[in-house]
Amino acid sequence: MKEERLAKYPFNLLKSLIPTKITRNPIYIIIAVLIIVAFATVPFFIDVDTSYFAYYLFLCFLYIIIAQGWNVVAGYAGQISLCQNTFFGLGAYTTGLIWLYDVTKTGYYFDPVVMVLSGLVPVILAIIIGIPLLSRLRGDYFAIGTLGVQFTVTVLILRGGAFTRGADGLHLPSVVFESMTPYYWTGLLLALFAVAVVYFITRSRIGLALRAIREDETAAASRGVHVLQYKVFAFAVGAFLAGIAGSLFAYYLFHINPDSVMHLNWLFFPILMCVLGGNGTITGPIIGAFFLAALSSFGSVYFPQTHPIFSGLLVILVMRFMPTGIIGLKDRILSRR
Amino acid sequence: MGEFGIITQVLVNGILFGTMYGIAAIGLSLIFGTMRIIFFAQGVIIIFFAYICYWLFTLLGIDPYLSLILIIPISLLLGMGFYYGLFKEAAALEQREVSLLIAIGLLWLVENAMMVVWTPNPRTIVTAYTSWVLELGGLIISFTRLIALLIALLSAVGVFVFLKRTRIGTAVRAASEDMESTTLMGINPNWVNAVTFALGIGLAGTAGVAFATVYSFDPMYGFTFVIMSVIALAFGGFGNVFGALLGGIILGVLQSGASFFVSAGWADAICFGTFLLVLMFRPQGLFGKKV
Repeated sequence: MKEERLAKYPFNLLKSLIPTKITRNPIYIIIAVLIIVAFATVPFFIDVDTSYFAYYLFLCFLYIIIAQGWNVVAGYAGQISLCQNTFFGLGAYTTGLIWLYDVTKTGYYFDPVVMVLSGLVPVILAIIIGIPLLSRLRGDYFAIGTLGVQFTVTVLILRGGAFTRGADGLHLPSVVFESMTPYYWTGLLLALFAVAVVYFITRSRIGLALRAIREDETAAASRGVHVLQYKVFAFAVGAFLAGIAGSLFAYYLFHINPDSVMHLNWLFFPILMCVLGGNGTITGPIIGAFFLAALSSFGSVYFPQTHPIFSGLLVILVMRFMPTGIIGLKDRILSRR
Repeated sequence: MGEFGIITQVLVNGILFGTMYGIAAIGLSLIFGTMRIIFFAQGVIIIFFAYICYWLFTLLGIDPYLSLILIIPISLLLGMGFYYGLFKEAAALEQREVSLLIAIGLLWLVENAMMVVWTPNPRTIVTAYTSWVLELGGLIISFTRLIALLIALLSAVGVFVFLKRTRIGTAVRAASEDMESTTLMGINPNWVNAVTFALGIGLAGTAGVAFATVYSFDPMYGFTFVIMSVIALAFGGFGNVFGALLGGIILGVLQSGASFFVSAGWADAICFGTFLLVLMFRPQGLFGKKV
């Protein structure tokens, strides 16, 4: 019986991706289109290669991709995953390894095949570890388990010997670098893709199921939601987005080592962006990403040493005084009347 | 010293280091019991108190062990302050990720503040008795490590007696079983949470002093410490005082054994791997009863 259900699963999944309700309010569509157009015209007005602002936007796009991934896992499905940086790093490493070992025989630099593969490798890891972890561990135990996965993978890469080249990492041929413009465009495109993915997931049956799991797992299961499948699906989506972001960052960095791409900042910052903006909403992580990336860029320029202190303080203050984030603030003000 | 002697020495070192994880794990276990969160800042708080101990020693010349008289009350108060200042609202919200993120924010804040104040360079406390060594049948145990072990055991016993013999201790135990029913019995949940936080941070203070006298420490070590304590906690089973201590000792032995027999680089991977296996197949801990 289980096999039968699994055989039907891909079909069910596709069917459930069809949105049940798309917003019909034209104002939102107009605003969304205007914002996209505004970002798309930025390279025509400012010089992307020299401007710090363009770099800042590139960073925002990267963070939006990862944060939307975490948003699906934690914001919608309610599973606090603490290994997004591993997926990010794995994506970067996949790109680097494919390039260095000449695997796919394609162009490598900004090659869609490589980027998709870099997204899929973390997905494979997410499925392999997700099925045992998500079926056995709930809540905090899952968070701790993903933390264990994170450290195991980091140590494995550090100890990978000649294959991963240990702590020194991979050096990609940086001669191919010409300009920042393709980074900007790819970043924007992928960020739009990430937002669209989350939008379609949340507006479909899958999103409904994920939210049901977040609110009450037992109740969701008793209504016929296959809890494990949906949780693993959400986990895999998060892994895919983080992996693709990692691939893009690998093209930017050219030197991939565990310290740079597996850094805990790639875990904490996206989480912080989600909760700051409003977890479990689509615009929340976007607002959070722009706000926090601005704060941290500003901090690293003017207070290079002390700015992480303020990031920590900010998390505490936000969580202490507005646990529902910037988006939730609007509701709170409205409900106060 | 023969082969056997080396193995015993590795074992003893593991046990002595493991008690540090154990004492941190007891604190985590208490806070997890009532608040249901992993208090990720525990490790940096331990290192913070190690630095306080270091300052008391270098600036004021107070003996590290004597400074316990000062550090224990401060840490107890700090724990209570943490609860009332930071976690009270989040605990009432019943959204545990909020408390979890506050703990992570605290980790970040304290770690980076320590980097600025004390620089990332490792520090050690060197006293007159740091180099004292006891030789027991070929084993070499330093005096400070033995005292650290003693401090860890005493605080574990202290917490155990507090939980078993006092009224508020009983309330804490009841709250870890079922917070809602405990509240219905007329126990103030805030007070129970504040007491567990005080105990947890108090243990962190004691562990900080014990750690500072034996090992060198730097701000970044706090995160590693809390991860190791979480592993110790998983080994011992959540919500079990002596289990947590024993889990810490097992982890210490595993770590020192793995770094001796395999290699120091792989030791961490072995610990995390074992941790994942324990979490999967015995989530109730190695000594816990199956629920």
